[in-house]
Amino acid sequence: MDCMTKRLRVVYGDLTLGVSGDNFHVIFNYIRGGIESLYTGGKEWMYRSPQPTFWRALTDNDRGSRFHLKSGMWLAADTFIRQTGVSVAVDGEAIAMPIAPENNKYSPDETAEKIAITYTFETLTVPAAKVSVTYTVTADNKINVAAKYFGTEGLPQLPVFGLRMIMPTHATGFTYEGLSGETYPDRMAGGVPGVYEIQGLPVTPYMVPQDCGMHMETKWVEIARNTVLSNVKDGKVSTLKIAMDDKPFAFSCLPYTAEELENATHHEELPPARRTVLCVYGAVRGVGGIDSWGSDVEEAYHISAQEDHEFSFNIVL
Amino acid sequence: MQPNIKWLDDPRVFRVGQLDAHSDHFYYDNEEDCAANRQSLCQSLDGMWQFAYSVNAKERPANFYEEGFDASAFDKIKVPCHIEMAGYDKIHYINTMYPWEGKIYRRPAFSGMPGERMEGQFSEADYNPVGSYLCRFDLDEKLRGKRVTVRFEGVEQAMFVWLNGTFLGYAEDTFTPSEFDLTDAIRETGNVLAVEVHKRSTAAYLEDQDFFRFFGIFRSVSLLAKPDAHVEDLWVKPDVCLKTLAGKVSVDLKLSGCAKTVQVRVAEGGSVLAETTAEAAQALSVSLDMPKAVKLWHNHHPNMYTLEVRLYDEGGNLLEIVPQPFGFRRIEMVDKIMMFNGERLVINGVNRHEWSARGGRVITDADEIWDIACMKRNHINAVRTCHYPDRLSFYRRCDEAGIYMMSETNLETHGSWQKAGMIEPSWNVPGSLEAWEAVVLDRAKTNFETFKNHVSILFWSLGNESFAGEVLVKMHNFFKQTDPSRLVHYEGVFNNPVYKDRISDMESHMYTPPHKIKEYLDNDPPKPFILCEYMHDMGNSLGGLKSYYDLVDTYPMMQGGYIWDYIDQAIMVKDEVTGRDVIRYGGDFDDRPADYEFSGNGIVFADRTEKPAIQEVKYYYGLHD
Repeated sequence: MDCMTKRLRVVYGDLTLGVSGDNFHVIFNYIRGGIESLYTGGKEWMYRSPQPTFWRALTDNDRGSRFHLKSGMWLAADTFIRQTGVSVAVDGEAIAMPIAPENNKYSPDETAEKIAITYTFETLTVPAAKVSVTYTVTADNKINVAAKYFGTEGLPQLPVFGLRMIMPTHATGFTYEGLSGETYPDRMAGGVPGVYEIQGLPVTPYMVPQDCGMHMETKWVEIARNTVLSNVKDGKVSTLKIAMDDKPFAFSCLPYTAEELENATHHEELPPARRTVLCVYGAVRGVGGIDSWGSDVEEAYHISAQEDHEFSFNIVL
Repeated sequence: MQPNIKWLDDPRVFRVGQLDAHSDHFYYDNEEDCAANRQSLCQSLDGMWQFAYSVNAKERPANFYEEGFDASAFDKIKVPCHIEMAGYDKIHYINTMYPWEGKIYRRPAFSGMPGERMEGQFSEADYNPVGSYLCRFDLDEKLRGKRVTVRFEGVEQAMFVWLNGTFLGYAEDTFTPSEFDLTDAIRETGNVLAVEVHKRSTAAYLEDQDFFRFFGIFRSVSLLAKPDAHVEDLWVKPDVCLKTLAGKVSVDLKLSGCAKTVQVRVAEGGSVLAETTAEAAQALSVSLDMPKAVKLWHNHHPNMYTLEVRLYDEGGNLLEIVPQPFGFRRIEMVDKIMMFNGERLVINGVNRHEWSARGGRVITDADEIWDIACMKRNHINAVRTCHYPDRLSFYRRCDEAGIYMMSETNLETHGSWQKAGMIEPSWNVPGSLEAWEAVVLDRAKTNFETFKNHVSILFWSLGNESFAGEVLVKMHNFFKQTDPSRLVHYEGVFNNPVYKDRISDMESHMYTPPHKIKEYLDNDPPKPFILCEYMHDMGNSLGGLKSYYDLVDTYPMMQGGYIWDYIDQAIMVKDEVTGRDVIRYGGDFDDRPADYEFSGNGIVFADRTEKPAIQEVKYYYGLHD
């Protein structure tokens, strides 16, 4: 295996941890909750650090069943989150947090086979729930991302549980292997397995903007961009690939966050599309369909906040 | 006969001077036109007409129909077009509430409520807009010297009609054809047709459908000339033995004019299978046996035959040809299960409003063709014409495509019995009110008479969400007694179950969750079950279809349903800010009270692109296709 012969270069910064391989450089920020920079393919891929996500823009059925009045605290949890800790492990061994002055012991030539950094969070819900996200970088040019929600008594059903990554510019499109069309846990029998290429970042034109673009049971998704915020523009297309770890994942790739969609009553009220919002989900609530004025989504498609939810995926570099 | 504006106020007046409803058959006066399907005896009046808008009857130009009236101040309007979509009055979307909610206090005449006040309720209302239309035309050569009628395929909601200053009549029932005889008043050139359309009348109580509330001439207007002899009405009644496929077809004819003999043929493609001749009479029936086993009409194989009627004069000259397509199929109740051609029927259905994002309920042939292709590719086998009869052409297309139709009568009185979800029928119409009976029965009769020859119609539907009373019982009985070859549907007894035994052949529900349906089916039910509306596809929806199809697979008496609904009802306009084409809905036109985005429940968007959820429909409907 590559990782047996190749090693990662590690920069023990004062506030950040830099890790690089053949074709990437990633910077973890200890106080900003995750990856601050992921540079690969000649592009920066992180606009802000990834963040656990709990909210989806209400569907008409959600509004009809008053889901927002029961689970509305997850909107706040999605918007703001408290980071409670961060820890680092090198080659499987936990180390003392390598911040200043602890990091004075390192040199310019540090390497490792595997770097793992774990962020812990507490949600703004009452009571608060714990969440952890572990990024494990290995020399085979891969970042494994493992997220866990710790079930908490007394919390209302979750709309979703996932990780939101915002990219600096609007993608030209994405390709994925999974199910055709848009699918949800209670609406995926009609999805045909295959590889699908989507042009741009379409926001499905429901009369009132709402959650859309969900893709269940995905093996991998590759985002393509040809623009950067950098002062140096080359117009080159590069891609970033997210692949399943032990089991398929769900994702949506839109130019807006759930909160941006939530704020609009018409599509023309949405801001100009300028970023790429990739959410990878481990749990998704169904959309329902019995009616739009009270019936809940069928119970099998609820997401309990009392139970743990874990998922993982790989950023393939 | 003099027109009376007070007819707007009186539910007992709804049809004055109108010709009787009759079958929607095509006819020709020569073989060439018939072979080419060229309707040369029909002259379209669609196009730009003169038009004046008034906010109420008092302000309308009351004498605009008079010859010599100076209409130079009139605007121009397109026919067909909703008056609101042409820039007048107000576009308004509201669901169950009557459109005057919060603005005018109204109770239906004869409802027995203290505030009912019949006189002037509509004719003297401060707000009840009027469209005054003038159409100037010369008669096409081909129509001259003949008996001529004018047919309005759809006018919302009440109208008075004049030709060359002569009053012809008054019509309500927005969604069925209204026809008037022009023969005595028409000239070869220089005719002026005057149509005064009132936005609301007592018909408004019967047309409280959940949709945009428009008015005006919104479907085509045509002149129809009759040959010297004419089939005024025909009813083709095919019958087939499912065991032997022996077929027989009889036809009831009503004739006018001077025919001497009637030839009736059954043809398939170009070949004549059977033929007979009879002496002409005002009314006659002819029957023919099919010479060999017939091919059944079915969703996958919509086999059609043509019954050709030819009228001849004494000298044997051909006067008229009517080629009426028909098919052999059988829908019947066997051991509490609806059987279609001897097999259990599963309805993979959808409710379809007529809609286009640019035209509202003014749609085109291309829209209908697209809709049927969309249904076929997604395994949709049935359509409910919610909640009114559709354009005439749609029934022919469903015959040809093998779509099973539920032909719904133009009746909905939702706001008269349900308030914010609660059942409160203190002034429900039609209920058991005698004064509202004739108008409602006339709607049923018109639905039947117009469309009775369409093989695609399996069910007559009494209407939508109108509660239940003696009037609905009479409607049910009308259909049962008149047409034993089809089943009768009505859902509204659900909310007034004392009428359950007397209305509707099947148990029909809306939006009942799967576990409740199971409960019904597990308790020795008296009637088979369908959902006339289910899977409310508002926005991003249509999850859980599996649970319904599990029931279809488990219980023979669970016979499917109609998804709500086919197309989002929303309007495309130019955005004031960006100049882009954008979609607007209720409340976006300063219309209040409104029901906002509640009309966006289609499996296709308002611009006829498929919603993502449609692949789920295709999958589950495909399992039973």
